Amino acid sequence: MKQNNGQPQPGQTTGLMSRRRFVGLAGTAAATLMFGGAFVGCAGSGNGGSPASDASGDDAAAIANSVDFSDWNAVLEAAKGQTVSWYGWGGDEARNTWINTVLADALKQKYDITLDLVGMDINDILTQLSGEMQAGVEEGSIDFIWINGENFYSCKENGYLWGPFTSYLPNFNDYIDGNSPEVLYDFGSPTEGFECPYGKAQMQMWYNSDVVTTPPTTVEEFAAFCQQHPGQVTYPEPGDFTGTAFISCLIAGVVGKGEFEKLSAMEEPTEEAVLAVVEPGLEYLKSLKPYLWKEGTTFPADSSTLSTMYADGELILNMGYGAPQDLVNNGQLPETTRSFIFDSGTVGNSNFMAIAANAPHKAAALVAINEVVSPEMQLSIYENLGNISVLDMAKLPQEQRAQFENVPLGAAQIPLDELLDHRIAEASGPVIPILEKLWLERVAQA
Amino acid sequence: MRRQARRAGCSGLWAARALVALQAVCVLAPLAIIVVWAFTASWPWPHLLPESLTARGIEELFGPSQKLGEVLGSSVAIALACAFFTTTVATMAGRALSRYRFCGREVFRFAVLLPFLIPATVFAMGVQVAFIRAGLAGTVVGVVLAHSIVALPYAALIMTDAMEAAGNRLEEQARLCGAGPVRTWSGIIIPTLLPSLLSAASMSYILSFSQYFLTLLVGSGKVKTLALVMFPYLSSGDRTIASAYGVVFLAATLVVFFLFELLLHKRMAREIDYFNG
Repeated sequence: MKQNNGQPQPGQTTGLMSRRRFVGLAGTAAATLMFGGAFVGCAGSGNGGSPASDASGDDAAAIANSVDFSDWNAVLEAAKGQTVSWYGWGGDEARNTWINTVLADALKQKYDITLDLVGMDINDILTQLSGEMQAGVEEGSIDFIWINGENFYSCKENGYLWGPFTSYLPNFNDYIDGNSPEVLYDFGSPTEGFECPYGKAQMQMWYNSDVVTTPPTTVEEFAAFCQQHPGQVTYPEPGDFTGTAFISCLIAGVVGKGEFEKLSAMEEPTEEAVLAVVEPGLEYLKSLKPYLWKEGTTFPADSSTLSTMYADGELILNMGYGAPQDLVNNGQLPETTRSFIFDSGTVGNSNFMAIAANAPHKAAALVAINEVVSPEMQLSIYENLGNISVLDMAKLPQEQRAQFENVPLGAAQIPLDELLDHRIAEASGPVIPILEKLWLERVAQA
Repeated sequence: MRRQARRAGCSGLWAARALVALQAVCVLAPLAIIVVWAFTASWPWPHLLPESLTARGIEELFGPSQKLGEVLGSSVAIALACAFFTTTVATMAGRALSRYRFCGREVFRFAVLLPFLIPATVFAMGVQVAFIRAGLAGTVVGVVLAHSIVALPYAALIMTDAMEAAGNRLEEQARLCGAGPVRTWSGIIIPTLLPSLLSAASMSYILSFSQYFLTLLVGSGKVKTLALVMFPYLSSGDRTIASAYGVVFLAATLVVFFLFELLLHKRMAREIDYFNG
């Protein structure tokens, strides 16, 4: 292989020399680009230079700062013509379609607001938000977020959220019971007006009535059910929120609702305090293990894996926050799918919407959130997605209450009042990791 | 002797054919299953064929809520821009590394590999912060640049090796015959390197097209590519829609590859002349 050794050779012209220098320069530039990227990658804070003024920045910030948010008409005026971005989990086709058609159309027609739904995983959303906040971006890309639980807690603690804002929303003031614990607390941490409820969810189990004749509605029956169908029942590994919620239901069934709900009030729990409540439940879970899928030596990593196994017929029981009516409607699950809950109840929680501290379109975000909690949209959510409404039915006019009551129930759905009568408050945010650790030590590894 | 050799050659040929067939089955069978799943509503065990079919995947793709054309267009445009930019820089870097001795050359050679060595997630988060400060976050240009950083090591390695393999004989001859720098590049260097250039470009294209996390962070979720729209369905286990997107993803990649191949074959005759001469 011949290489140019950098010495002038006969036949080389000055043109070649300058080209070589050019190539050398370009190589250096390429290397610098890669080095720069790499260093920044390592340090997480490069040289950076001057703080960026967002190139796409419109006058939104200027408007946002001058808006009196307590004057709803001023908010509506400021929101006009804005494009508001809603970041949230995007893995549910029915919900995406509902947001992109029903909600987006209503916002466009009523308020001249364009809704941009950005579907992504909550962890990725938080990474993006914290990246922007740490870089000191005053006008971020996120307007409002579908959020709850410890994600909300950590965002609020870090000052990544804007608020309190719920008192600005007419529909929140008119139709939501602001003093209900489900609105005041989110997994045990006070919401303090930094998030507005979006929907209520409650753990439900489902099965194919062609395969299973009588569902197990108590923990004793559930244990017998596992013994009758060895290897065909399991739950997602706690750590996955569905898995944690499901073992919570079983533990609550063993220790009793009143005892279990002590966990939802714990703000700074110790391992001993949690164990004192849940120990009989953990013993019960341990006794189930030999009859579970793969004899309980391993558990599916997440609820989507479990759903896939259930859809393939490998398992005969599945579970989740809400009935799978939409899966039945679109043919993924058979018409004979039925849901049930334990007589001792199942855990439930609320999910919320919060506004980013650096949201560029706060007025439009307020209008959009207000629209989501309007009776019309909540009814539409209940009809189309089967989500439990966050509205206080007692505050609704008679005819609207009747509309909610008249929504036909799918065969796979459980009546609303039956669900709410069997609702157990979820353990508080700080208890959850302890519960998962105890399960790992005393059930999985035992 | 000769007959034996021929027989050995024959059985070798059959073995090779069998291996190719096996590989084809290993690659094509899963792809075929993806295509079937794109139209399948439910396919429980122990059914050999799907139990029920659905147009849900297709409706989702072409439905009003997903702007497939827009998303696909921006994916292809970003990937092509990344392929072009990366290949250009990689060619220059490859030339500098293979032809010239300069101070710190080995350091640069190592620097080329550096993005390989850093975990993608760590890298993406750093790039996000740097790009936010530079005002590149949430822009298409920023996404193209970020993808290029990831694709550069692959492309630069290909181009450095290609430059070293090609040598500078032919180029020097052209210069001796009086060709200017522009003519040498357009008539000798680029045609000689064309197969490698296309390899580097298609590698960059693929890498850019399939980036999820980096696109998400640098694009702030505003720059929507196919990978970005597809991923939530993959992670939520909706196999019908994920497969439908998978088919589009595959088709978009294959079309571009086909075009690259077509370009290459047009030049093939000249290449063979060169390597034989």
